[in-house]
Amino acid sequence: MSKTAIRNTALACAAAVIVSACGNQGDDQNASPFAIAAKTTAQAVAARRAANNEPAAPPKTPEQMAAEALRVNPGPLIMVGFESLGRTQVMALTQENGGMRTYMTPAEEALIMRGGMVTGTRGLGNDLSVAEPGTEALIRASRTGSARRVMHYYSGDGLERPIDFNCTVAAGPNPSVMAESCEGHGISFQNSFMVQGGQIPVSRQWLGPALGYVTIQTLRP
Amino acid sequence: MRRSRLTSRLMATTLPTAFLVGSVTGTAIAEPMIARNMSTYGLPGGIETPTAEALPDGTLGATLSWSDYSQRNNIVFQAMPRLTTVLRYSRVEGINDHNDLGHIWDRSFDLRFQALDESGWRPAVAIGLQDFMGTGVYSGEYIVATKNITPTIRASAGLGWGRLAGKTRPLLEDGDQGGKPQIDDWFTGSAKPFASISWQVNDKLSLAAEYSNDDYMRETRNGKDGDPGHLNLAAYYRFGENYEVGLYSLGGETFGAQFSFSLNPRRSPYPSGLEKAPAPVRPRPAVSADPEGWSGQWAQDPTAQPAIQTALGDALAKEGQVLESMALSANRAEVRIQNKRYIQQAEAIGRTARLMTRALPPSVETLVITSSADGVPTSSVTLNRADVERLENTQAGKIADAAVLTDARPYPGDLVMSDDLYPRFRWSIGPYFDLGLFDPGEPLRYEVGAEARASYEFMPGLILTGALRQRAFGSIDQKGPGIPGQRGEHYTPEEYEADPSLETSPEGVPRVRSDSRMYRSDSPTIPELTLAWYARPSDTIYTRVTAGLLERAYGGVSAEALWKPVNSPLALGIEINRVRKRDFEDVFGFRDYEVTTGHISAYYEFTEGFAQGFTAQLDVGQYLAGDKGATISLTREFANGWRIGAFATKTDLSEDEFGEGSFDKGITMSIPISWATGQPSRQRASSTLRSLSRDGGARVDVNGRLYEKVRDSHSVKLYEGWGRFWR
Repeated sequence: MSKTAIRNTALACAAAVIVSACGNQGDDQNASPFAIAAKTTAQAVAARRAANNEPAAPPKTPEQMAAEALRVNPGPLIMVGFESLGRTQVMALTQENGGMRTYMTPAEEALIMRGGMVTGTRGLGNDLSVAEPGTEALIRASRTGSARRVMHYYSGDGLERPIDFNCTVAAGPNPSVMAESCEGHGISFQNSFMVQGGQIPVSRQWLGPALGYVTIQTLRP
Repeated sequence: MRRSRLTSRLMATTLPTAFLVGSVTGTAIAEPMIARNMSTYGLPGGIETPTAEALPDGTLGATLSWSDYSQRNNIVFQAMPRLTTVLRYSRVEGINDHNDLGHIWDRSFDLRFQALDESGWRPAVAIGLQDFMGTGVYSGEYIVATKNITPTIRASAGLGWGRLAGKTRPLLEDGDQGGKPQIDDWFTGSAKPFASISWQVNDKLSLAAEYSNDDYMRETRNGKDGDPGHLNLAAYYRFGENYEVGLYSLGGETFGAQFSFSLNPRRSPYPSGLEKAPAPVRPRPAVSADPEGWSGQWAQDPTAQPAIQTALGDALAKEGQVLESMALSANRAEVRIQNKRYIQQAEAIGRTARLMTRALPPSVETLVITSSADGVPTSSVTLNRADVERLENTQAGKIADAAVLTDARPYPGDLVMSDDLYPRFRWSIGPYFDLGLFDPGEPLRYEVGAEARASYEFMPGLILTGALRQRAFGSIDQKGPGIPGQRGEHYTPEEYEADPSLETSPEGVPRVRSDSRMYRSDSPTIPELTLAWYARPSDTIYTRVTAGLLERAYGGVSAEALWKPVNSPLALGIEINRVRKRDFEDVFGFRDYEVTTGHISAYYEFTEGFAQGFTAQLDVGQYLAGDKGATISLTREFANGWRIGAFATKTDLSEDEFGEGSFDKGITMSIPISWATGQPSRQRASSTLRSLSRDGGARVDVNGRLYEKVRDSHSVKLYEGWGRFWR
């Protein structure tokens, strides 16, 4: 570390040490529980202040967001509406692995999909680890029938926990829409897929008890 | 490789689905009856009387209850689905002891075992011991049955002995140091019935009424203040998922209020954590697209490894992983990582594997990820790159089947150290906050100040660590130990320091901990200044030598060796310390007391049966005061990092030599900060509650003991947390 760097850190520290901790070890280790609490509070306060000071610019409509993203990013894009979080975001393809596509937001939250069906989420706090939809073949072929769907979640005790559902696939209210109705463990949900030639350009899918439904629209396949 | 039985057992969760789907109803059939309200004694109950209810397994909670008769601070832990435990620290009015305060502060401990579940016409039945090893103020035993009458009305009836039958047992006789089970008293005296009924008015409000035989003999000055009556009433209001307030009346004359909260380790606000999504696995291109990469020719290029190592090191640093060293050949890569961020080592390993697929040329097929604990390699996970590519986005059990866990190779071999990593200097400045509990005159004391910490790693495993503290303010004052024979009186610091003979108790026991309150100073203190050397002389043996100012009260040399094969739930250790007592104020000064203390330890992680999730530790050896004996600890550990345990130490000191409490015992709690905040971190909020600072069964506090350092990347802990490999 250069002398200037040391002096700058020291100056920053002199200001920070009153309420929280500082050091040269990065965020991972130097914080005592006390300091973490102080930092969390400070972040919450700052966020609120920022929100209050935010000029009343009208939020972008989904159409504006889509147009901008298509202009800036040449790759595959989807638009995802998280109903329970009350936000809509454009997610860009970051990697494809054997038919699995990982889409991410700029804040590095991820949605993992196979051919338009959600198989996982990352970075949302109540993530779906893996979905194993036994109904996939029925949906893609626009056939009716029933099958098992297993959803694996990260549980609060630090493990990965499967929940299984019994699902039936049937034609939905609109042409080319397949509806998958699932039930198990006292919960039920219904996924809708618009199927076009085995692809799913538009869908509404259930991620889990905490995250609820997302609507997914393919902006650029 | 087939997944071993051990792995599948560790990765299997017994978590009720209700915890995931968020509903609490509909799963209670096979489980113990779950509590509605907390009693003033901090257990599921009516108001003062117990019921046969339990809390959801693993629940850690607290109830603070105030009335004219008492103030009870209870910590409850549902240690097993049927076993409820409570530690209580109460202010009991109407009893005068040597402190002459008109009340006493009293610790007590309860156990309740739920023997039968409700089934058909049969009620749930529990048996309990109240205050079974304290001074006996609340000592009583009971058998109680609880039955749901309607979906909202629940009734309990039971038979109580001791306090529950209105027969307060005599307090300790003079000379009895208490703190041990009073088995002779249990279920003695006449038994009397008690009963309670509770009505769940709606989701939030519930009402309770009970008939109790407690006549508060002492609290009412032997009844001079009048018999309070036997009918108690209460209203409880629940808000949020975890909080409850209550108002109650004891016999219609005395009123009280209480507040309870509970935490369930299985219910985290952010079960998957809020850390960013991991980098996706990058599959290798077709051979025709990168013939040079697939051929392995690149390995001949001397610039290849440094470039790859730098790029991978930078990427790992963003994940909180330090790339200590790396070996790279045409078809195999090994990385040594220090995990500084994730509480589960499996998550660190998974993220490292993902980044390796993105950084390494396609001819590299074998990925070896070696976990390093501050420079000492502790285990290696070997993966086929093809498996990593194929099994991304599948359940974690599949990659567990494909991974091989072995002891790390002890010697670096062809590993190349990362540039600029050593020597490594780290420092931090921050506030500190100290708590002092259980002083009868002032039950809660605190101290606030600033602390600077620094460490200098010369090379992997050789670390100089120091801390400097400056007190700012607080209520923890310097105080000498209690004066023998004059209970409640303490030596002044000056008196105590002036006469070295006071540093041995009249029974001949050196004061090794009972004068710990002398270690307080307004000038800067150095709680720790050590040079530590960690090594691994063979595949399964780890060693540590620490020298310097080991802790606030002792300095010297500490040496430890631990045998811990990576796939063994059993570990054996030996530790020997030669320490000298530090001066109370002079930061580098010492006092005259010097001792050799050391232990032989056995550790066992239970992986099956009813004890699954428990870790036991047995230490046998010589303690700080030169007393010989053994400590047994039992800790319940959850895959998410929660740890709650209890320990007891018995040495060859007699009860009189030991003093109040008869032998050393306490509970330990450790909760990962990430569980509460969702932000990834290895930090923990930890606390040890022990009965009293006594001289028997005391150990020197050395940082960096090997067992905790090593086990996170060993089979039991690693596979318990393996579900987060792909997180």
